[in-house]
Amino acid sequence: MALSVDMIRDCLDGAVPAVLATCASDGTPNVTCVSQVHFVDGAHVALSFQFFNKTRENLLANSRATVMVAHPETAARYRMALQYLRTEAEGPLFESMKARLAGIASHAGMSGIFRLLGSDLYRVIEIERVPGTELPVSAPRRNLLPALRTCLERLSQCTDLAGVLEELLASLAGAFDITHAMVLMLDARGECLRTAASRGYDASGLGAEILLGQGMIGIAAQQRTPIRITHASPEYAGGCAGTPEMMIPFPGLPDAGSRLALPVIGGGLLLGVLYVESPEDLRFGYDDEDALVAVAAQLGMAIRALGDAVGDRAQ
Amino acid sequence: MSRTDADESLLDENNAAFIQDGVSIIAASRADANVPVLAQAVGCRVSPDHSRVTVFLARFQSGALLDAVDVTGAIAVVFSQPGSYRSLQLKGTDAVVEPLESRDKDRVRHYISLYAAEIAALGFDEMFARTMLACEPADLSAVTFTPSSAFSQTPGPGAGAPLLAAS
Repeated sequence: MALSVDMIRDCLDGAVPAVLATCASDGTPNVTCVSQVHFVDGAHVALSFQFFNKTRENLLANSRATVMVAHPETAARYRMALQYLRTEAEGPLFESMKARLAGIASHAGMSGIFRLLGSDLYRVIEIERVPGTELPVSAPRRNLLPALRTCLERLSQCTDLAGVLEELLASLAGAFDITHAMVLMLDARGECLRTAASRGYDASGLGAEILLGQGMIGIAAQQRTPIRITHASPEYAGGCAGTPEMMIPFPGLPDAGSRLALPVIGGGLLLGVLYVESPEDLRFGYDDEDALVAVAAQLGMAIRALGDAVGDRAQ
Repeated sequence: MSRTDADESLLDENNAAFIQDGVSIIAASRADANVPVLAQAVGCRVSPDHSRVTVFLARFQSGALLDAVDVTGAIAVVFSQPGSYRSLQLKGTDAVVEPLESRDKDRVRHYISLYAAEIAALGFDEMFARTMLACEPADLSAVTFTPSSAFSQTPGPGAGAPLLAAS
């Protein structure tokens, strides 16, 4: 069976640095470590472009590249034959890679040195499993599909927005074992996200505000893309700083190791952000992100369906 | 910067020791149509005068790379210390695939222990490195080349800068 990127995406969380080989137009090879290989879809990845270097020069002259990645638990390695397509220096892909890189940089003691200049998008031509043995994978912390089912069933029984938010946070804790979570709603002017519900914090922080585009929560909303950070990163700490006139402190963990912000969209409209975090590094992987994207989508539809004032704002 | 004199090795004592330590070693070459190929090596040997560098590769994992080296002689090897991100890339145009020397199997064993210790310090179980680098001694090949250029690739403003030859 041919491998696709989704089948090996646990190798793309950066625990084991990836290596990238390119060739100059005269055929001279070049090989270098690369901070980030980002899953785009089953046939595409994006690599972090951080420095103007030989790799850059080679790619512009010869679009073929080969990257090797390793699974952080099994030690299995894969070689991906790639074709460089283009570089994105703004937008959802760029912002989500930039936030992730900030976490990687901080973890590596490279804050201020690792800086994303662009997201290099590649088509994956072929994936080869490097022959060899591998270690067993440990049991997952939770089976995410039953957790998702439980959560969505509970949300579908709710009759008002308050109930939806309460059930959401309860099932994140109960079914997903995610004990620090909050929902922020976009205000009527579409400029500010306000904490509407939270769970797992000393102070609820209800009413605490974040501007659209500010911190990882504000960027996730503005770009309408999930942002996932796998290591503590001061640049994105607390998800944000509040608005200058903010009276209510943001309730987030001061030193979260893992953070995930997901835009809540219903009927095509941005409604808010679902934000979860954990003191642990590497707590949320690609599968957790997918499951919570589905939860956020259901939340968005529930908000619209229940015709709450927040949903009416967008009318 | 090309070498013109065998006495002017690109590798000083410090870098020669670095590339024979428990660093990750990835070798690349070019296949047909300038398609890059790469493989992870399982150790390195530097000649006494530092003019020649040899990396060891398991054939069952490195077939395309060994074929490409055999045809083109072109090679690039990056040596990178997992903990510090210190990285050095060497390139050569005269790479040849050779059988191992008598002590090379011991070198590979020693290298795998050094590498396992290096990444154990980063929280990986020793079995992780031993599984990743597992190979049969009879399946090893040596690739030897004369470094004709060397580049510091430690992340930062100096990344990609060529090393000056030691004189």
